[in-house]
Amino acid sequence: MVPRIIVDGLGKRFRRYHPERPNTFTELLLSGLRRWRPEEEFWALREVSFQISAGRMVGVIGANGAGKSTLLSLIGGVGRADEGRVTTHGRFGALLDLGAGFHPDLTGRENLYISGVISGLTRQEVADRFDEIVAFAELEAFIDNPLRTYSTGMQMRLAFAVAIHIEPEILLIDEVLAVGDIAFQQKCLDRIMQFREKGCAVLLVSHDPGLVAQLCDEAIWLQHGRIVANGPAELVVDEYKAAMDAETKRRTPASAPVLRTTGGAELRLNENRFGSLEVELTGVALLDEQGEPAVELENGRPLQIRLNYRAKSPVAAPIFGVSISREDGFVCYDTSTDMVNFAVTTLQGEGAISLHLDRLDLAGGAYFVDVGVYEGEWAYAYDYHWHAYPLLINAAGGGQGVLLPPQEWSWSESAASPRSMAP
Amino acid sequence: MLTFRELKAGLTQPLSGQSYLYLRDLLRELVARDMKLRYRDSVLGWAWSLLNPLAQLLVFGFVFRFVLPLNIPNYTSFLFIGLLAWSWFQASLMGAATVIVDGRALIRRPGFPALILPLVSVVANMVHFLLALPIVFLFLWFTGVSLQLPVILLPLLVLLQAFFTLSIAYFLATFHVSFRDTQHLVGVGLLLFFYLTPIFYDTGTIPDRFLFVYRLNPVLHLLEGYRDVLLYGVWPSWGGLAAVTAVTAVFLLVGINLFQNASYRFVEEL
Repeated sequence: MVPRIIVDGLGKRFRRYHPERPNTFTELLLSGLRRWRPEEEFWALREVSFQISAGRMVGVIGANGAGKSTLLSLIGGVGRADEGRVTTHGRFGALLDLGAGFHPDLTGRENLYISGVISGLTRQEVADRFDEIVAFAELEAFIDNPLRTYSTGMQMRLAFAVAIHIEPEILLIDEVLAVGDIAFQQKCLDRIMQFREKGCAVLLVSHDPGLVAQLCDEAIWLQHGRIVANGPAELVVDEYKAAMDAETKRRTPASAPVLRTTGGAELRLNENRFGSLEVELTGVALLDEQGEPAVELENGRPLQIRLNYRAKSPVAAPIFGVSISREDGFVCYDTSTDMVNFAVTTLQGEGAISLHLDRLDLAGGAYFVDVGVYEGEWAYAYDYHWHAYPLLINAAGGGQGVLLPPQEWSWSESAASPRSMAP
Repeated sequence: MLTFRELKAGLTQPLSGQSYLYLRDLLRELVARDMKLRYRDSVLGWAWSLLNPLAQLLVFGFVFRFVLPLNIPNYTSFLFIGLLAWSWFQASLMGAATVIVDGRALIRRPGFPALILPLVSVVANMVHFLLALPIVFLFLWFTGVSLQLPVILLPLLVLLQAFFTLSIAYFLATFHVSFRDTQHLVGVGLLLFFYLTPIFYDTGTIPDRFLFVYRLNPVLHLLEGYRDVLLYGVWPSWGGLAAVTAVTAVFLLVGINLFQNASYRFVEEL
């Protein structure tokens, strides 16, 4: 099978300029050429080679500034490589910069046409797909209203619906899956999977290794513009996470005052506590429905996990995460603010963030609640408490499983039984 | 330097197959967007777009008919032709200067032909020019000027002006990415050239010793062309128009070349 994307020895050099580089003729005249020339050059990408075949979905992971977006641009033909080449076969679709060309004063219909044509369709093709796009965006009733009357969610739905109706053979996605409500996201995801089955090659750039592991066949891990690992998504993501753990350990200070949890356990750095401590979790409370601290909980009861934090200096857009694991290390539940697109902006000083679980249907047994606050790109942990908060779930009749949802058996002896045997 | 073939390949490569149709539709949609936005908020959108040239017509007409009489026959038509053609030229260049910076979201899209953006500015303003032309004919008819055969060259002149403007537009659009005061400098330059171009006066009144320098201005030849075919009903001077065509061809090639080479850098500088 012919690969849809062939990247061969790709390299891109960026120039770093003086911060006061003249950006007007006037300033250029005043300051001369001294600050006009680049101060230094660095490689944003170097020796990057890989191929993506039809029907494959590949994720690119890496920290901020690793070259992910540059790679995506070069594959999309935006900008010129300094080394190597990109060869592509097929029509491009792009889920990046959604809403490029949108104007608030035009109606949804007009914006749809412009955006469709900008995405690579002819007017006729947009006209043919018009009803389908509007239906997909669920905007039938509003399509002739000006875009400025739309909510952000509606605008994103329209942009996404257009982007997704160009039937691409190569689809480039940059972080934008995180738009709209969960149901709409799922709809878009389903559509992307359909393209893939029809032979579309998908390249997804994301800072979320979990998403890449979940969606992609393969993953490419970029670091400082070079490929560190390239292979099956789960393996690469595991490697990436291991490196993240190592980075966390490296950044963990040698010592800090030993904290004592409300449960009485001691938090010792490099034993059950890791992280750079740029943000500290100063108190972690497991609360029952009355808001009382709980170490023991009946199965099916609500649980609130409250994390008190302290940031000495401002920390931008961190991620809070909570997981519940069994004593044997099996992870039963894992969530983060990043996963559900709960926006946490800059932290400074003290505060608290809470996770509310309506009911915890875990089988009876002993668990640990592990909590952490992480750098916004998952690069390392600021503060991670491992196995410091025990939780005991009481339940009758659990068996070997992890889950114990409300259950009821029923039995019918009538012939109408759906599973009656053939005579 | 790019060869012309490379240039052509660069233009059509990301668009594979249906490139012509696509480019045409893209141009149409972007121009239509421009027009809709300009006219959206007023019922009298078209009349509104004429307000500026008509106001200028009124003021210049008054000044150079009564205060400093220039004694040019059919001065209203003479002046209006000049003002319309100049405002097309001016608005296109002012628009083209910021077209890349304003269209950064478009530039970042895979396969988007950045080359089309300066063209959009020129074509959108050309549509305004064409929409105002009926008024010119009305003036001519009103003052008793009847159109002669040379008027068939009008479309050619319009096309020539469009390409000449475009050739400059590529330079300005490129410069503005690195030097954000380009637009202001263009504004100042256009203001000066408004007076240095025979818009409200006649080429005939320019002293001979300056005429040589004046004739280096391509817009002068275009304006003379318009007036020849519309107002005087004579064939335009072929030499001048041939020179403008040649200059346009060279500028356009160099301009597109410059723009195309710089366009790889646009994304980094925006």
